[in-house]
Amino acid sequence: MKIEILVYVYLAICTAMIGFNIVCIFLFSHNDRETEQNRLYYINLIKDQFGKAVLDDRHRIFLLKRLVHVRELVAFDKSLEILYDEYPVELRDYLRKLEYVFIALANRYSPKNEIQMAYYPYVIARYRLFEGEDSPEINRMLVDLLEKPSIYCRENALNAFYSMGISKNVSDALLIIDHTGYYHNRKLLTDGLMSFAGDRKELNDCLWEHFWDYSLNTQLAILDYFRFSSGDYQERMLRLLQENHDSEIHFCAIRYLGKYPYQPAYEQLMRYAEHEDELRWEYTSITCFALASYPCDRTIAALKKNLSSRNWYVRLNASQALENLGLEYADFIDIFEGDDRYAGEMMRYRFDRKKLSERSAKAI
Amino acid sequence: MRFFLFNDTAFEFIKPFLIGVEFFFVAYLLGYSTFLFISVVTGSSSLFKKRQQDRLKNTILKDHFVPISIIVPAYNEDVTIVENVRSLLSLDYPLYEIIVVDDGSGDETSAKLINAFDMLPIRRPIQRKINCQPAEFIYEAAAQKVPLTLIRKKNGGKADSLNMGINACKYPYFICIDADSVLQHDSLSKIVKPVLENENVVAVGGAIRPSNSVEIENGRVINYRLPRNLLACMQVLEYDRSFLASRILFDKFNGSLIISGAFGLFKKDTVVSAGGYDATTMGEDMELVVKLHDYCVNNDLPYLIRYATDAICWSQVPENLKDLSKQRRRWHIGLFQSMWRHRVMLANPKFGLTSFISYFYFLIYELLSPFIEVFGIACMILAFLVDLINVPFMLLFFGIYALFGSIMSMTAFFARTQTIDLKVTFRDVLKALLLCTVEICVLRFIMAWVRATAFIGYKKKKNQWGKIQRQKINLK
Repeated sequence: MKIEILVYVYLAICTAMIGFNIVCIFLFSHNDRETEQNRLYYINLIKDQFGKAVLDDRHRIFLLKRLVHVRELVAFDKSLEILYDEYPVELRDYLRKLEYVFIALANRYSPKNEIQMAYYPYVIARYRLFEGEDSPEINRMLVDLLEKPSIYCRENALNAFYSMGISKNVSDALLIIDHTGYYHNRKLLTDGLMSFAGDRKELNDCLWEHFWDYSLNTQLAILDYFRFSSGDYQERMLRLLQENHDSEIHFCAIRYLGKYPYQPAYEQLMRYAEHEDELRWEYTSITCFALASYPCDRTIAALKKNLSSRNWYVRLNASQALENLGLEYADFIDIFEGDDRYAGEMMRYRFDRKKLSERSAKAI
Repeated sequence: MRFFLFNDTAFEFIKPFLIGVEFFFVAYLLGYSTFLFISVVTGSSSLFKKRQQDRLKNTILKDHFVPISIIVPAYNEDVTIVENVRSLLSLDYPLYEIIVVDDGSGDETSAKLINAFDMLPIRRPIQRKINCQPAEFIYEAAAQKVPLTLIRKKNGGKADSLNMGINACKYPYFICIDADSVLQHDSLSKIVKPVLENENVVAVGGAIRPSNSVEIENGRVINYRLPRNLLACMQVLEYDRSFLASRILFDKFNGSLIISGAFGLFKKDTVVSAGGYDATTMGEDMELVVKLHDYCVNNDLPYLIRYATDAICWSQVPENLKDLSKQRRRWHIGLFQSMWRHRVMLANPKFGLTSFISYFYFLIYELLSPFIEVFGIACMILAFLVDLINVPFMLLFFGIYALFGSIMSMTAFFARTQTIDLKVTFRDVLKALLLCTVEICVLRFIMAWVRATAFIGYKKKKNQWGKIQRQKINLK
């Protein structure tokens, strides 16, 4: 029967797979041993170069030859990892002198497969190899990676750009990612921008300048980044809130104005808090939370009113904001004795939580 | 030698029937071996690539944390619950909460938790977005690394408890885990990776590994060996084959139809919109995943259901045949209920490969396979009685089948070294080698019988928790 032959073929391939896996096990363990040996070798080699005004030509040529191979770069990376903790100053000096080698390596890593190629910017970012420098060769390679479908290529390339600290390059890199159309998580972008090694003010100006050229996802990531990094943009945020934009942009602006209170924005915020529109409940809900930064009787009245909202999240955020405003149990007698059971429940929970936190603080 | 009770007329009828059966079984086994072959090859190469990616830092390196709620449904779990929660509190992840839902246990589950974690009663309002039994009391603990909540509710089954957990959780993603399972220290950061990679991910399945005979300290495996218990050992091989092979293949075309109830991550909004867990089914975990496919496709929502091979959950597997049979009966009935409820997916081009590969695979090689296999054995007996069996060929064919299955198991067994850095000892290899054949030739047929008879009397046990004998987890 022909069927048997097919099954035999399958059997042969699967046996080969087992063989492959067994070989892999030995190969991995051999590679680990080899990497460990090379790591020790590189540590001594690098230490020999510490303190020299110019690196030995032999050393540079040797590295140029060896680091072309990805397994050697792994061992080199591991040795830098050790030296980074023990000799931070000497290593920085050494790496600065090694930039020529890494520029030459950029061209050698460009034609490699995506996985190997993405390792190169990882090393650059990790040791901040080109901090403050704008190298066309490196930029070219990183831009190439930004256009790859693999998120890891893009992420490693972006991290390298952040570590190099050139504002214009970072802002351009975000535009390139937008143009490729690949999704890049907003959190990754925000956290990446937070790690930018250059002049933050310059970067922020650059991002504002191109703000409307970015996709909505990137715009939101940038607005989140501003919220975590600088309180200088209240006026701009208020303007965003007053203009006709996507509701997500408005939400970011409200959150910003909640973190960095800005009195001229109060009226706008109160409009959302005092006039709840069921279809636009998210505005009211987010505003309630932001209003904890605007303590006054009018705020308290609006929040108390929102405790009776039909929307669960509005009630939840209003109760949270009232708790953050530091009101006491007695301030809510009207709520507890009122007709709205849900409003009372929500505030009671807040006070229970407060008691629980106080108890645990005492215990600590 | 033909048995006397078959006269010539009967023989004339039986002969074409058995020829038809022969063709059917050749096609059936060919289909199965082709599927296994493709899935094992795909799985192995994917894992190899993954290992390379990790080695060369093709991964999300910084701590980008997606807030997660961990829901632990518990029913009479006072033996393991405190240790389990302790292990959850030691996970390497900063932004999560733990919600234990006690489904009206008759033992000390709630009391043990309250005492162990110094919990206090709290009047917490819960929005009932999904229908579930009412809460009897709620406790919270404040002095823990992350918020810990205990909700004691009226008994309603596991799905009902999970629905309560979903209603109570505050974060956008939730994880459901079994109360007897232990998460590896980095499993949360691994399971959220697909969410960071693609905004359309609505669910991610983790890899379940049998924890029998494994020593775990602070979520890290410190001593691994195959279980001493042979039945548990065979299940290790079975889990390896299933998780490292077919699930990776289904993942390639967004065709995963099951995420184990022991460890899976879900996007809360999507699950709530789809109606949450179905409390009337025995296989609520599979039903939810199939429902998510159904819901997203019918509402034209872009979605992905992913599988994270490196997000590891250690879970106890039954160590005696009675418990194993009980578990497999439940799984099989659950499978039937899920597939029947969402039969719209059968041969429906709207669902693409999920319909034509995943659904068909589960229908033929999972749901109907026990009946087909039992039918096959009956036909073999019949063929033997009418002297229409070529015994050497049958033995050869069966031998090839056993060898093929064993090789598949061993391939999956060795592939584990590419997902988790576990050292495989020579003794374990030997043990696996011996037991994989037994698993294919003996256990599989016993389980086929168990699954084929699963429907007998199932209505009585419809909403019961499928409890197996628990042992203290080997945690340090």
